[in-house]
Amino acid sequence: MGVKGSCLCGGIRYEVDGAFGRVVHCHCSMCRKATGAPFRTRAAVPTAALRWLAGEDLVSRYESSPGETRTFCRICGSTLATFLRNRPDEIGLPLGTLDDDPGVRPSAHVWVASKAPWCEITDALPRFAEGITTTSDSQLSNPPLQPTAASPMLGRRG
Amino acid sequence: MAAVIAKGDSSMIEGGCLCGTVRFCITGKLGPAGYCHCKQCQRASGSAFAANAPARTIYFKFLSGGDVVTEYESSQGKFRAFCSRCGSPVYSRRDSEPDIRRIRLGTLDSDPERRPLAHVWANSKAPWYSIMDALPQYSEGLPTDIVSALQTERRS
Repeated sequence: MGVKGSCLCGGIRYEVDGAFGRVVHCHCSMCRKATGAPFRTRAAVPTAALRWLAGEDLVSRYESSPGETRTFCRICGSTLATFLRNRPDEIGLPLGTLDDDPGVRPSAHVWVASKAPWCEITDALPRFAEGITTTSDSQLSNPPLQPTAASPMLGRRG
Repeated sequence: MAAVIAKGDSSMIEGGCLCGTVRFCITGKLGPAGYCHCKQCQRASGSAFAANAPARTIYFKFLSGGDVVTEYESSQGKFRAFCSRCGSPVYSRRDSEPDIRRIRLGTLDSDPERRPLAHVWANSKAPWYSIMDALPQYSEGLPTDIVSALQTERRS
């Protein structure tokens, strides 16, 4: 039984089958612009685990950096998954559109050096000025999706 | 609730969407900011909550890209505006409050000199997010006495 999600207008529905990977709050300026919020909370999810149930034709794409494509609903603007050309097997799924509790919880704040001046971080989660490096990776509570294939910046933008 | 009616005084604030097509400026004061945890704000932003502050419509001006802004009517008479090219939420507005645009703070380029003062719709918050700060939390929208205080401030 997968975890379901949908956009605000309901035109797009999706399901994630299988485990969610690490969840982080990303404070980079691009995530702030993309969400309008102080940070974007997203989980690493295997690309193969995401299944569009309805409205895939409504999914708009915007390439925010070379090889990094953010998606949103063409009708209501809801922020959806981010796809990375250099990691085709993993997507960044923002949790706000989930209908169900994915069970996982955020384990870090990343790109804190870029955080909004009006946002004060008050929780006890680890904070990283930029992304999560491989050396800091093992200190975090929930695991990356592919620890053996770790990139230098696991908590990269997106 | 003295803190809720504390005033900001930014004379000019600029903001824009992720792709840079939509650019806007706000002259005059931005109103009191807050975090909204309603499920609609979660879906629209993709994040745990929205961060909003009201600006007077007459002080909100598109510098570019006004023609690519799409408005989605998420409830009757309530419209959420986003960039049709990159999806960034920009503002919301209500037919019943034509003089107000609720600006998404994440789109601002500079410090609005406003700090969010409360969490609203906390009863709807995401199960995967814990509110850890000391700001007041309201289970639904702002109580009517606080709304009245804020409206008094807007008129000032």
